[in-house]
Amino acid sequence: MQHATIEKSIPLMAIITLVLVSIGGLVEIVPLFFIKGTIEKVEGMRPYTPLELKGRDIYIREGCYNCHSQMIRPFRDEAERYGHYSLAAESMYDHPFQWGSKRTGPDLARIGGKYSNQWHQAHMLRPQNVVPESVMPAYPWLAKNALDYADIDKRLRALSKVGVPYTEEQIGNAKQDLMAQAMTGGDPAGLTKRYGNKVPKDDFDGHPDKITELDALVAYLQMLGTLVDFSGYQAQTR
Amino acid sequence: MSDNQEVSTTGHQWDDEEGYPLQEYNNPLPKWWLYSFYATIIWAVIYWILYPAWPIGNGFTKGVLGWSMHKELREEMDEANAKKKVVNEQLASMPLQEIAKKNDLLQYAISGGKAIFGDNCAPCHGQGGIGSKAGGFPNLTDDDWLYGGNLETIEATITQGRTGQMPAHLKAAGGAFDEAQVNDLTQYVLSFSGRSQDAAASKRGDALFHGEAGCNGCHGDQGNGSLKGTMAGQALPPVGAPNLTDAIWLHGADPVSIRESIAKGRMGVMPAWGKGSKEVGRQLDPLAIKQVTLYVHSLGGGR
Ligand code: HEC
Ligand code: HEC
Ligand code: HEC
Repeated sequence: MQHATIEKSIPLMAIITLVLVSIGGLVEIVPLFFIKGTIEKVEGMRPYTPLELKGRDIYIREGCYNCHSQMIRPFRDEAERYGHYSLAAESMYDHPFQWGSKRTGPDLARIGGKYSNQWHQAHMLRPQNVVPESVMPAYPWLAKNALDYADIDKRLRALSKVGVPYTEEQIGNAKQDLMAQAMTGGDPAGLTKRYGNKVPKDDFDGHPDKITELDALVAYLQMLGTLVDFSGYQAQTR
Repeated sequence: MSDNQEVSTTGHQWDDEEGYPLQEYNNPLPKWWLYSFYATIIWAVIYWILYPAWPIGNGFTKGVLGWSMHKELREEMDEANAKKKVVNEQLASMPLQEIAKKNDLLQYAISGGKAIFGDNCAPCHGQGGIGSKAGGFPNLTDDDWLYGGNLETIEATITQGRTGQMPAHLKAAGGAFDEAQVNDLTQYVLSFSGRSQDAAASKRGDALFHGEAGCNGCHGDQGNGSLKGTMAGQALPPVGAPNLTDAIWLHGADPVSIRESIAKGRMGVMPAWGKGSKEVGRQLDPLAIKQVTLYVHSLGGGR
């Protein structure tokens, strides 16, 4: 085909450009869906509970990802500070994932269980209370704002459309499960049945009588990186 | 491009009618550029052979070097561990008391412990272990201990974790006493440090402390804490109840904070760090716990 022919016809040039760019995309992306090792098979992964999911939404709303990554890279200094490197499977149910690329603060991929709820409460209220030299901003409104979870079942359903395996039972009981995890009623036995017995039920924000945004955020932080048990994990030959 | 006559054009002309046809020159690429381009192609082929590259079916070509990111990490970790192997084995096999006597080994352990402390403990206990009032995180540099400052107790505290159980006393917070009684108790606790404003209230508080409220069961008859205190001459259970008679306060020395402690209760959580001590979260291996124990012990208050 003549150079001039392509150059003079915008539709033709657009089509040819599109074909070329797609070849690049196809070669780089499509094989990942077929290669076995892309997402490791690991024990313990489960979708977020409704309360954790709301916490994740707040994490995104407040822009925590601008300063915190959730991706431990396979380097020695990171392994010694943060623990086992992150696996793809660990962000399998994240839409979108929170790997991040900026670390003004530490990586949070395995922050779960490292500190107590009280520490998180004091830290979110004003980080300098516990870490005097911290440059992290304060988030005092989280403990004041009541959590709005009227649409939580719809959020679960939306995620199930993009492949998160929420069952009808989980979607139907989302509000109950959220309340149960924050220990303000609901059906705790049902929560355990639907999400496993490792799910902590707690008063995450230090205000036993209400469910605040801080409840959700702390519940989310306290489960990060705690699902996969690495004592039995054998790295695949990759 | 100085001599335009020698260069051919792409043959495409715009605005012919003008008499000065606008044309596109077809300049050859500079040689250095062209050869660099060929070199990158050759490098790509070499790279495909040496390193993991092409997807095939449900796998990919592994490359003749057998390189992998995770293998590189393993090798790096093994190498670092091998360097420290001799000292680490010594540390792992020796009891804490013995290590404390050997100065070179002790210094090595303390410097390792300091790094571990910075990453894991300092956010609660402060840089250098000076503690923080927000949340009741104790100062570890003084000799005022909740559970004990000898090496074995510190190691046990870190391995198993601790939870301070100070019950709530105000009715509204789930306790058994009314506002007035809580104020009486506050006045009595203040009297330990000579700060009571109201002798009559303090006297009523005294009766509650040693009677109905049973504070002495944890804080001792003299209010000097579960470690040093006694109740009717008997040692107290190791519940980590603080000494209320000294100037060191976990949650603040002012009457408001003290009243808050009594009214709503306190539950300071020191996470457990030993392997298998909890189902989730960050854990430290026994060697790391030994090192951080020796570091905490060295901060000044160690017994
Ligand atoms: C301006 C950057 C910045 C933003 C935005 C930010 N942080 Fe931080 N964060 C830091 C820094 C710096 C530290 C380390 C000092 C400290 O602990 O406060 C930190 C520490 C933390 C830690 C403790 C990590 C550890 O291992 O000790 C947590 C948890 C945390 N941040 C959560 C959050 C959450 C949740 C948000 C959003 C609501 C957030 N941060 C927003 C900068 C930031
Ligand atoms: C989430 C916050 C937190 C973290 C992280 C933490 N601690 Fe603690 N630690 C506490 C609290 C709270 C107490 C007091 C417990 C109580 O009130 O009974 C405590 C108590 C202690 C004590 C007992 C003090 C005494 O007077 O007997 C020691 C020793 C100690 N911590 C060492 C450590 C070390 C070492 C680390 C790091 C491996 C660490 N802590 C990490 C919160 C924390
Ligand atoms: C079951 C044991 C127990 C009983 C009973 C108890 N305490 Fe406590 N108390 C504790 C513990 C443990 C702490 C430390 C709590 C923490 O921070 O984790 C504490 C903390 C306190 C504090 C805060 C001290 C500080 O340094 O900030 C005060 C004040 C106090 N208690 C007063 C009382 C009074 C008054 C009573 C009786 C009405 C009482 N306690 C009954 C165990 C007990």
